[in-house]
Amino acid sequence: MPELRRDPIIGRWVIIAKERGKRPSDFIIEEEKTKGGFCPLCAGNEHTTPPEVLAYGRSNYAPDTPGWTLRVVPNKFPALVIEGELDKQGEGIYDKMNGIGAHEVIIETPRHNETLVQMSHDQLIQVFWAYRDRMIDLAKDMRFRYIMIFKNFGRAAGASLEHSHSQLIALPIVPQRIEEEIKGSRRYFDYKERCVYCDIIRQERSQNLRIVCENSQFIVICPYAPRAPFEMWLMPKNHQSSYLSMDNAQFHSLTDIFSEAMRRLNKALPRVPYNYMLHTAPIRSQQMEHYHWHIEIMPKLTMIAGFEWGTGFYINPTPPEESAKFLREIDLEA
Amino acid sequence: MNDKKKILVVDDEESIHLLYKEELEEEGYSVQSAMNGEEALDLFEKIEPSLVILDINMPGMDGIEVLRKMKEQRPDIPVILSSAYPEYKQDLASWASDDYIVKSFNLDELKKSVKRHIK
Repeated sequence: MPELRRDPIIGRWVIIAKERGKRPSDFIIEEEKTKGGFCPLCAGNEHTTPPEVLAYGRSNYAPDTPGWTLRVVPNKFPALVIEGELDKQGEGIYDKMNGIGAHEVIIETPRHNETLVQMSHDQLIQVFWAYRDRMIDLAKDMRFRYIMIFKNFGRAAGASLEHSHSQLIALPIVPQRIEEEIKGSRRYFDYKERCVYCDIIRQERSQNLRIVCENSQFIVICPYAPRAPFEMWLMPKNHQSSYLSMDNAQFHSLTDIFSEAMRRLNKALPRVPYNYMLHTAPIRSQQMEHYHWHIEIMPKLTMIAGFEWGTGFYINPTPPEESAKFLREIDLEA
Repeated sequence: MNDKKKILVVDDEESIHLLYKEELEEEGYSVQSAMNGEEALDLFEKIEPSLVILDINMPGMDGIEVLRKMKEQRPDIPVILSSAYPEYKQDLASWASDDYIVKSFNLDELKKSVKRHIK
């Protein structure tokens, strides 16, 4: 019988279609052909992007030239624009403001075909440093209240360019999804005086049913009520509400665990399209006792259609216990 | 001798060709048309245009693929993407273009962009 499961943070329900129990080999992942041709993100084509706002690896100071190992540039055709005032207004019962924001692209490698799972530790850690460095810089702008970092990989997940990149959007509002997490975890904290994420980690470690991998500082689980097969959450084991609170040792530890989780996923479902989103406390907020930063990794294996849009429910054909077991038992050396 | 600057318009809609041709020829340009990606790449090589206006949604080879091939061959020739869909702006592959204009029957923005980029 299918099972309805409730997410303990935001209260979202999902349907786990247990009897279907899809294994990785049951999913058909369309092979994407590399299109080739000119790539605006490749080293040597810096002139086709807007001027960079951050670059690592160059020995000389010559912006927008080759020699970089990671580069961050504003989006050439941004969804929101950086110049201007918010000009918040009401229109009867409706609210509006100017589309102010920052939209940047983190070019994770100068090499066109290098994916996250192929990156060395030294290359991958730069990606996480870049997230931090850009967040710190943009947080100085008092118009912004939230910085969302996300990655789309593969056409089905919204990326048509193969060159590995992630994106950052600084927003003048806290997105509803983050508000829901903060409010949900606040409710839990008010009732139990504990962080719900810390409690999830504690329970998952004692049950050991949905853990994918862990190290001294981080844990990766398939959540109890996942929206998608093989959905993973990566969380710091010790309570921390902001990504910006991480120390240097944690960055190394994060790089290791993230790389391991992504290699496991890639081995189970080679080149599966996915999205990941970094959820952290809003900028300039004090340390929150009830909130816990994390990365949500969502492989794109199912369709979002009328039922999901209409109800907010998700149908997931793979129980997280099976997803986690499969990912955990992958032999990365084989 | 015809020294008018050549613009290659690539679009699968006949009405767009008629509209662009009339308006851009009035501005003093010479306009050539291609109805699909293959034809566009062929003409691109033959006529070496001063600028290309390129649709994204086309049957067969899409505009992004055409763009990447054109830029690989001749990165110096400006290409303006012209699409009815603003959401394609979020497709980073469009960065290879020199500008992105959302299609409209008012061609002021397109004409300004042509003036800015044509060589």
